[in-house]
Amino acid sequence: MNTSEIIKTVFLPVSAKVAWGYLTEADKLAKWFHAPKQDLADGQDYALFGAESGDKVCWGKVLKMDPYHALAYSFAVKPFPGMETEVYWTLDEIEGGTRITMRHTGLENLDGQSFDLSMALDKGWDRHFAQLRDI
Amino acid sequence: MKTDVAAFKALGDPTRQQIVALLAGKDMTIGQVVDHFDMTRAGVKKHMKLLEAGQLITVKAEGRERINSLNHEGFKSIMQWVAYFDQFWDDKLDALASLVEQEEQI
Repeated sequence: MNTSEIIKTVFLPVSAKVAWGYLTEADKLAKWFHAPKQDLADGQDYALFGAESGDKVCWGKVLKMDPYHALAYSFAVKPFPGMETEVYWTLDEIEGGTRITMRHTGLENLDGQSFDLSMALDKGWDRHFAQLRDI
Repeated sequence: MKTDVAAFKALGDPTRQQIVALLAGKDMTIGQVVDHFDMTRAGVKKHMKLLEAGQLITVKAEGRERINSLNHEGFKSIMQWVAYFDQFWDDKLDALASLVEQEEQI
């Protein structure tokens, strides 16, 4: 098992077209993820901002947009600004809705050594993790 | 898990990040660390205490001196952040599923 890769699936009882909107449109992303200033666009940089802090929390570049089927973007997060991971979304229309598979790769790039050198944590992050734990 | 929060907290400050960077180079006494900052010994000591609480540094007595070193084990635990992202995505995808259910009136 590759422990540095995360794979999740979620079933949504809607068409792939509707599900696609939730993954790419700014107003919908803001409601479940973090808020971008604009809809995601192929080949464009994006940034997501924290709801409370207004800080930029995740950013990267949209690598692939194959409408209603596949979406990929590089994904950098605040504590490790120089290190980019990648997130791949796949949408499969199945009976009664759409199965979404999320694959987060590149976490192995963050070994202890590079962490020491590139460290640039700030105060927003530990709050974020603390919130996660409270769920 | 509590330790990890303390570790993240410990790193959430530029001074403490600098102290970690210094200790990554070599072990130091508090006095040696203080020399690198425009800050009182008490101020530096406070930061060192937080780093110790986060288990990012260890303090050993050597004779009359107290030597501060980086605790590599502590950094290893912070690197288990794959686990955090695992939780992160579970949380986000749950939120997505609930939102879709709500908005699309299923």
